[in-house]
Amino acid sequence: MNLLRIRRFMLSPYTLLSAAILIVPLFVVDPFWINRLGLYLVFSILALSMALCWGQAGILSLGHGAFFGLGAYCMAMSLKLLSPDSLNQGTPFPLPDFITWNTPPGEALKLPWLWVPFQNLGFGMAAALLVPALFAAVVGWFVFYGGVSGVFISIITLALVVILNLVVIDQQPITNGFNGLNNLAPFDLAGVVFDPYGLPAYYLIAGICVLLLLGLRWLGSTRAGLLFRAVQADEQRVQYFGYDVAVYKIFAFSLSALIAGLAGLLFVVNSQYASPTIMDVSISIAVVVWTAVGGRQSLIGAVLGALAINGAQNALSESGSLVHVWQLIIGIVFVLVVVFLPRGLAGLGADLWQHLRPQAKAVEAPALVAEAELLSVPVPQNSHQSGQRQS
Amino acid sequence: MLGSLLSGLSIGSVLLLVALGLMVIYGTMGVINMAHGDLVMLGAYVTVFSQRLLHVPFLLCLPLAFVFTGSLGWLIERLIVRRLYSRLLDTLLATWGIGIILQQVIRLTFGPELQNVSVPVFLTGETRVGGIGMPSYRLAVFLVSVALLLGVVAILHRTDLGMRLRAVSQNPQISACHGIDVNQVRAWTFALGAGLAGAAGVMVSGFNAVRPTMGSSYVVDSFIVVVVGGVSSLAGTVASAALLGGVNSVMAWLTNDVLAKAVLLLLAIAVIRFFPKGLFSAQAR
Repeated sequence: MNLLRIRRFMLSPYTLLSAAILIVPLFVVDPFWINRLGLYLVFSILALSMALCWGQAGILSLGHGAFFGLGAYCMAMSLKLLSPDSLNQGTPFPLPDFITWNTPPGEALKLPWLWVPFQNLGFGMAAALLVPALFAAVVGWFVFYGGVSGVFISIITLALVVILNLVVIDQQPITNGFNGLNNLAPFDLAGVVFDPYGLPAYYLIAGICVLLLLGLRWLGSTRAGLLFRAVQADEQRVQYFGYDVAVYKIFAFSLSALIAGLAGLLFVVNSQYASPTIMDVSISIAVVVWTAVGGRQSLIGAVLGALAINGAQNALSESGSLVHVWQLIIGIVFVLVVVFLPRGLAGLGADLWQHLRPQAKAVEAPALVAEAELLSVPVPQNSHQSGQRQS
Repeated sequence: MLGSLLSGLSIGSVLLLVALGLMVIYGTMGVINMAHGDLVMLGAYVTVFSQRLLHVPFLLCLPLAFVFTGSLGWLIERLIVRRLYSRLLDTLLATWGIGIILQQVIRLTFGPELQNVSVPVFLTGETRVGGIGMPSYRLAVFLVSVALLLGVVAILHRTDLGMRLRAVSQNPQISACHGIDVNQVRAWTFALGAGLAGAAGVMVSGFNAVRPTMGSSYVVDSFIVVVVGGVSSLAGTVASAALLGGVNSVMAWLTNDVLAKAVLLLLAIAVIRFFPKGLFSAQAR
């Protein structure tokens, strides 16, 4: 029995994908490609956060670029202050070069209060995770307790990323506007320097990606994961069993934002800049496209979707004029997937697998809700409601 | 003071212009048409194309763009949106994809650079309204949006299609029982909404840069107008366009254009949260 379980674990798509991500550097030696693959894995992590929020909990966020960008900016602020340029501005404290340029001559140079805590790298890293998570928690609290659902969530999150983008560009003295933060120090943690073109940075990103893949799979198997899916299948019924649906949604949304922030942090490690272009509508669209094409309900689908689309885009953009044709192809593929394959390529794969092994049955949505019902502890004032419910 | 009011009215009329088409589609079918902004963009490019190659006078581009984007809208409904009425959230994604496709097609044919549209001479000067000078073009935008609004009201309340449309938007099943071809009505509604977007694009092309990505800001603006106004009321859409135009011009005067936009979006989020049926919705059931 035990041997069988080990064999199943070894052969599961999760293990295979994780192993593939980890052994790729054995075959790729070009530092440029190591860096590129790291970038695609960063996008895979972003797609994983979308798969959690949209695929599992049914919240279609069109503003994930906001969380990604916030994470990236927090990390970039710390690395900016650690860069040699900032340390050599002739002030007793580190100062970003653009603040020196922006200060009129004769005025005292000072570090804006927003930047002060970021002198500590640990603070910057923690902020890259917690700022997006808290922001999402506040937004989630605001909308989910208000009973806002479905399409309106998408519109609100879309508006949020537009607002954030406008504000970051507008607050030029603090954020350096359109130019963003570049010329950063390399990420140095406890003596290990994560050179963006080196293996340590790749393994940092790949390791986190694999851990998240397995961790989110585990989360999906817990009671919380079951409830996410049950809420998606039939929110009202879950509510009648006495669950506070909003709490679960806020949790899923904030965790997803935290992972998106982590992806932003790793993006800065990999690409060494943060600018308004990584917290705009187009990256928010892109992550939805990767996740939808790969399969919104499949974690593996999300990772593969991000890897495949970015890889193909890169391959085609080498040839100049094909870039725009590629965008056209992506648009067409996206529309076709949404209309004909709502579960994405992973769903197609799973269907083919089912076809080959007809005895295995997929878990349907009503079964999920029924399972959640079994798990529920009857709450006295609500028990009569679940008693009345007809199924 | 009067100047600020006029500027608010002018912004409001642009908002109404671009939101009208979305209102028709969203208000009656509940379909989130994310390609709306790109249909506006397409209308602007119809103007560029007809001026450059066909030498059509500017105002004649209005019906041209209306027919062109309208037919495209009809096709989009027949080919794609029709399959998704049972999953409304997916219509948002599919129309978004259509928007990406439209944008890329335009970028491939016209190039990514800015395009110029020449405005007829009689619309370039200033007109004096009540003792205050106002750019004639702004006045024209105002008049066109009022005309289109009246046209939509007439179609909705005076024609056979309008009656069927209102019936379908209230209850598709019962409408079908009464012999209304629901599919056909929906296709024509989508065509009407898309056509209005195209006509808006013509007017927008006269005062704004015409480029492939111009649509994305219009789709957000239109949504906000429609959502604040209340989903299924034309009068609400008009009132919210006026209100948001006013707020925008006051905020722009107090701070700057960028922050005014941000405040407008925050306002919209608050409205969605606290008045899910819109500020000006008359239905209280």
